[in-house]
Amino acid sequence: MENTKTNNHAWLDLIITLFGLSVVSYFYYGKRFLALSGVCLGVSCAAELISLKLMHRKFTAYDFYFAVDALIISLMLPAVFSMKIAAAACIFAVVAAKNIFGGRDNMIFSPSAAAYVFLLTSWKDSLLKFPAPNTKYEIGEKVSELVNSESHNFNMEGRTDISDFDLMLGNFSGASGTVVIFLLIVSAAVLILRQDISAGAFFGTVIGTVLMAFIIPAADNAAVSAKYSICMNMTLFSAIYIVSDKRTAPERNFYAFFYGFFTAVISYILIITTALENAIVIVAVLAAPAALGIRNLEDKIRLAGENDIENIPASDGEGAESLE
Amino acid sequence: MTLKIFLHLTERGLKALNKRKLSVFDGLWRDNTILSSLMVISPVIVCGNTLRNAAAIIYAFSAITLFSVMIASFVPKKLPYAVKITVNAIIASLVYIPVKRAAQEFFPDIIPRIGIYFPLLAVNSIIILHTEAKFFKMKRLNMLGSLVFYILGFDLIMAVISIIREIFGHGTLNERVVDVNMTISGLGEPFGGFVFLGLLCGLYRYLRKKLSEGT
Amino acid sequence: MFLITELIAFLCANLILTRALGTSTMFTAAGSRSNLIGTAAVITVFTTIGSAAAYIIDSLLPQSLDDIRLLLYTAAIGLIYTGLLFALKKFSGKNFYRYRKYIHISAFNCAVMGTVFTVSGTAEIAGFFGYISAGLEAGAGFVLASLILTAAYKRLNSYKVPVSFRGFPAILVYLGIISMALYALR
Repeated sequence: MENTKTNNHAWLDLIITLFGLSVVSYFYYGKRFLALSGVCLGVSCAAELISLKLMHRKFTAYDFYFAVDALIISLMLPAVFSMKIAAAACIFAVVAAKNIFGGRDNMIFSPSAAAYVFLLTSWKDSLLKFPAPNTKYEIGEKVSELVNSESHNFNMEGRTDISDFDLMLGNFSGASGTVVIFLLIVSAAVLILRQDISAGAFFGTVIGTVLMAFIIPAADNAAVSAKYSICMNMTLFSAIYIVSDKRTAPERNFYAFFYGFFTAVISYILIITTALENAIVIVAVLAAPAALGIRNLEDKIRLAGENDIENIPASDGEGAESLE
Repeated sequence: MTLKIFLHLTERGLKALNKRKLSVFDGLWRDNTILSSLMVISPVIVCGNTLRNAAAIIYAFSAITLFSVMIASFVPKKLPYAVKITVNAIIASLVYIPVKRAAQEFFPDIIPRIGIYFPLLAVNSIIILHTEAKFFKMKRLNMLGSLVFYILGFDLIMAVISIIREIFGHGTLNERVVDVNMTISGLGEPFGGFVFLGLLCGLYRYLRKKLSEGT
Repeated sequence: MFLITELIAFLCANLILTRALGTSTMFTAAGSRSNLIGTAAVITVFTTIGSAAAYIIDSLLPQSLDDIRLLLYTAAIGLIYTGLLFALKKFSGKNFYRYRKYIHISAFNCAVMGTVFTVSGTAEIAGFFGYISAGLEAGAGFVLASLILTAAYKRLNSYKVPVSFRGFPAILVYLGIISMALYALR
């Protein structure tokens, strides 16, 4: 049975967890991150309101998902990323990746994943260069030094020098909100327990990544490979907020598991073979047709089930007997 | 003021084109080759990213389509459909030869850049499918008028798309640098063409609906 | 692992998603899901046999007569077109009238002619079987693109999509975003 309350307020739970990640990002990168987040939220809100008006639809509580997408986008960017470009990405997410297809009721892509891929294709260099943690910049201040992400180093060399403690706290270079592993684990637990994300897709992604790390280790040691494969390349962050997004993932956990599993396997292979940073986000967009295919299948199964129930004669006792 | 007059005239012009009576003008607006029928969109998506590319495509498309359809209109109508289609395609392939020779004179550096999309213009949907479905059912003079407007419709939209994509995708216009705040390099790529054409197509439908409600 | 890397390479070489070849044909066939799959299957036949014909033409045609290459390719596709119609008439009997539309749609379009030109212009593709396998691969790419479109077909034509974007415009944006993700893989 569906939990109506949970479904209606999933966006709120998601915003709360994303807010937690934003607070940590603010702690590491200062006001610059806050401004970036604000721009993403403001532009997404405006784009959502304008497109809903053009679509002659009323703004409902469910439409607050724009804030979820805006926060996800801001957390996937370097804290010093151009605000103008971030605004363009948010418009793309709301308009081209969501509302053109009918918005909340007819989702095809995860808007934030599509926006990230949009940025990756046009501004790859500035998207994949990050400030070192604890380097705080004022709004409008010129950025002096940017470095590659730790994911990049791990993909290229198969090793990294970060301690487990720093790994848990996200004290290494990378997209501001995607590296705070401890908080991500807590968020995942909360969101799964409150049924706000697809548990099947989440576990599928995690198990797929771990399994591949054991089969084809990216580092010298399989356990180390599994640990870093989960923590790097936005894998855990994407597993929670992109692959397991209930708006786009298959509904049944059984199918969602395989959707997440194959998304993880393909992205792991891409990282191993091409050192492609954050491959899971790209694969999540490419896997959208597969997710849609599975959801079509689920609809057919549901329809067939409903037809079967309708075909059972209700007036006599034979139907009931056959059911028993 | 000038802008106001321009917008007013444009609106009046588009409203006039929306009227059903003016079927000869269909290709320009109401049944635009690119935006309404989505014909010949491959070159628009891939090559419509700079004005120079667009100029070469416009020239080749206009010349090949106009002459091919005119010549093909003399092919006996009694022939089986498959034979007529093949003959139309062969006529277009023959017309392509002098068009390509001339293009090598006018656009020597553009032709290699356009690559396979140049010969593919000879098997475009207007020549292959639209001739039998629409043009050859009209009187020859009407057909010529209609054909010219279909071609103009393509040319106009191709030019508009390429200008916008070149300015915002490459930060240039006719390969001269223009002052734009932010360029989106993806707009110049085929995927940018897909998305941009989709958005433009939606906008076109919206405008067409609004204008037809107004008339 | 090999299979997945091959699948990704296959996707990245897809002529519809990366070079927009055959998009108009896809839209013509997009009236229904069965039309789409039927057309994709017939286009595969055309691209495969067409590539074989292109090999013969390329082997015989001197470079100085390059301008008539299109004419010869067109004539070859025309022959395949009429040949397939005859074969269908002979072997399918009553079903001829039902299935002939797929052949009509698939004969002369950018998907088939584009494949033939791409195969011919790619230096790495050599030999008769090289041409045939490249043609088959391009056709399979069209089938894959059709499947990608079929998966979203219902949603792209849903009443929930704004009227102005319902159908073709939404399909274009959908294909654009998939194509964008493929571009990001490179």
